[in-house]
Amino acid sequence: MTNIKILGVMIGTIAIYTWIANAIPQIESAVPEELSFSSDVSEAELVAAGAELYSGGAGCTTCHGLETRAPNLLTGFNGEGTIGTRCGTRVPGQDCKTYLHESLMNPLAYVVEGGFDPMVFQARVFSGAQIWALVAFLQDQGGVVTVTGADVAAAEEADAAAPAGGPMVASNDPLDIMRGNLCLGCHMLEGEGAELGPAFDGIGSRITTDRIRRSIIDPAAEIAEGFDHLAGSMPPNLADMLTARQLEVLVDFLAGQGG
Amino acid sequence: MLKRSRGRWSWLEASLPVAIVVAIGLLAIAIEPLAAQGYTPREYGDFPIIGSRAAIWIAAQLHLFFAAFVLGVPMFAVVAEAIGIFSSDDRYDKLAKEFTRLLLVSYSATAIWGAILVFGLITLYPGLWGYLSEIFAPSMWVYVGIFFFESFTLYLYYYGWDRWKKGRAKWGHWGLGILLNLWGTAVMLIANSWLTYMMSPPAEVTPDTAPGMVQFWSAFANATWMPINIHRLIANVVFGGAIVGAYAAFRFLSAKTDEERAHYDWMGYIGNFIAMSALIVLPFAGYWLGREIYEFNQQMGTTMMGGFMSWLWVVQAFLIAVLFLAGNYYLWIGMGRIPGAERFMPYTKWMLLVLLIGAAVWATPRNMIANRAEITAMGGQFHPFLGVLGVMSAKNTAVNFMILTTFLSFLLYRRANKKAVVSWEKRGTTIQGALFVTAAAVVLFYGVYGYFVPSIVRIGFSVYQVLAVITAIILVVVIDMLMMRGAKSRGEIRWGEMPERSQYALFILAVTFTWLMGLMGFARSGIRQHWHVFEVLRDTSVDAATPALGYASIVISVCVLIFLSLVAFIFWVGGLAEKPVISGVGGGATSSAPVAGDGET
Repeated sequence: MTNIKILGVMIGTIAIYTWIANAIPQIESAVPEELSFSSDVSEAELVAAGAELYSGGAGCTTCHGLETRAPNLLTGFNGEGTIGTRCGTRVPGQDCKTYLHESLMNPLAYVVEGGFDPMVFQARVFSGAQIWALVAFLQDQGGVVTVTGADVAAAEEADAAAPAGGPMVASNDPLDIMRGNLCLGCHMLEGEGAELGPAFDGIGSRITTDRIRRSIIDPAAEIAEGFDHLAGSMPPNLADMLTARQLEVLVDFLAGQGG
Repeated sequence: MLKRSRGRWSWLEASLPVAIVVAIGLLAIAIEPLAAQGYTPREYGDFPIIGSRAAIWIAAQLHLFFAAFVLGVPMFAVVAEAIGIFSSDDRYDKLAKEFTRLLLVSYSATAIWGAILVFGLITLYPGLWGYLSEIFAPSMWVYVGIFFFESFTLYLYYYGWDRWKKGRAKWGHWGLGILLNLWGTAVMLIANSWLTYMMSPPAEVTPDTAPGMVQFWSAFANATWMPINIHRLIANVVFGGAIVGAYAAFRFLSAKTDEERAHYDWMGYIGNFIAMSALIVLPFAGYWLGREIYEFNQQMGTTMMGGFMSWLWVVQAFLIAVLFLAGNYYLWIGMGRIPGAERFMPYTKWMLLVLLIGAAVWATPRNMIANRAEITAMGGQFHPFLGVLGVMSAKNTAVNFMILTTFLSFLLYRRANKKAVVSWEKRGTTIQGALFVTAAAVVLFYGVYGYFVPSIVRIGFSVYQVLAVITAIILVVVIDMLMMRGAKSRGEIRWGEMPERSQYALFILAVTFTWLMGLMGFARSGIRQHWHVFEVLRDTSVDAATPALGYASIVISVCVLIFLSLVAFIFWVGGLAEKPVISGVGGGATSSAPVAGDGET
């Protein structure tokens, strides 16, 4: 009888743990698929791809998931509803699709009032099709999706015709490089920029020159202590948008910011 | 004569692990010429019904369970033997020998599951095996060599116990115990380098880097190697203590005499004491490991804490709450057999309250995966009230309070049947109380202050909280040892007079520790997601997706059931080989509860 009791307690304990683990939401980490669209892409496919980008690789939730850094796009903002319902009225004479696309391609174009920082979004990092997928997802938040396969096909043609890579700015001046690449959208330097990421002031005394270079080439490799929540928001291919000279100019300049 | 014959058989049986390891080595040698002839092995093999991933998972987990046991038990066997030597208390020596007897058969089981794991990797994941062995081949041979020495040191340690029992020979024997621990730790360090490389390969290794070009030492001493080493070292002690506690509980419940019952009651207490003492330190090692994972790769850290694994930590918090509650419950019931303990019993309900609140805070998630409707219902990504309790400031505060409470339980247990005779007893107790209050105040202050400072500052606060708690624990123990010198006894501990329900708490502790190890193994391995070697060697098998927690829990439960069944068999076999050594605990022996550094009993 004692042995049966012991067995019962052990199996009962294991069963409870197994039940709890099965009772909570079941989320599998799927293997990410490469995005590839044809001109007959459906609305549902675009929205699904956009949703994955929004909460994943595009890093949108880093700021838009909170109430303080940027308007919440999914739950409504300032009593104006979700982004799909308000996007068509943001700029007089501009429809929702154009507004969202323009906002993504040129983040400084329409900064929402209310003390928010300019949006840090490197449209160049994404393909034209991915940008349209994001627009479709945002439209789907309470509005009507008007993005079509023709928009995607045109964007992919444009991508194919565009020269690969290349710098964002031609200048070798460190401040021009930083402004042109939107570095100051997150980092503060002598009063200019935003206090989202670690400040550039004094960075040369905090980390080594090698680490500065590595942080530009591979931003995810080492995240500054205390900025864990911003992981993934710095473009992973930033270095691809700089010439070798620009990279070294930038590294030397930042290493010289000894505070 | 019979004993001699049994001993010979045991030598043959004991050589099994070495034979298995040598066989694996020969197989590895046999494979090499195939590669030289240009033979390209397939990337993956198939395992019937449950699939390759589950097969490897079960083999690896069971190997790890046994490995943790055979690494954890020698640690406190050697400590128990030392206490026996220094205090001239023969009970500890006999206890240490009984622990070691359990090791012999467990050793074979460890080696058998290790062999199943290696054969599984060779046949089911030949591509990954080839990749790893090309980088780590030298350490694999060293591993085999150390395992060889470790095995023979164990044989000498166990079979030489009675021969080297007195004088200098006893010290030599104790030295063998220390050597056994050193070999065991070295084996663990080597194996840990292989698995941590898969988690955190050096930055210079990319998908294009040929394995032959990877620098051995940078692969070996990778970013998460040392945190895993420390975490596993402590966890092995916890695990070993819990399993020994369950063994003692089983023996207690099936004991035929009062003397046996008293012995196994005492043994169960020691197992629980060791497990809980090491458990108190384990969260600190866990935080260090988590921090290193974040340092290595932020995305990996986010996946672990805030991504698809976020719910896993809710389950973990529940399990840890069970551990703290069961451990304290066992102590509180145990106070019923200590004369004088009744004066402390009114406090237990308050301690229970602190533990329950702490567990609830610890189980509160911060970042949950929620759908749009749920986000809307909450009014944002974080719950307006629970989100506040989900941050590290609240969790660190909760766990430190739970640790302080558990330590207080041990302290009350230890002092239950003692009456101090020193003149400064009142002052000493006041100072001890002040230390508790100060530690709690420091923990609470930094817990609240953490909400008002940037995260970079807040991270440093956990160090102050930990330091306050550890300092208080050390100082309180030192004061208590000095204060209780020559203390009068309020009555003898009535070892063996323990309600049966208390023993079930020991079983729950053992099952929960084992299940928790399986869960943490899934977390550590799962954060690699669809990579064999994170961002270097991609998993292209049909099992590349990381399963949800429900499926993982079923595999973990199967592993735990197999392990506990085999352990029960080992305990039974151990009982056949030799009559258990019953010491003179109980039946009039005066004892007090031991705490770390306490030689008086």
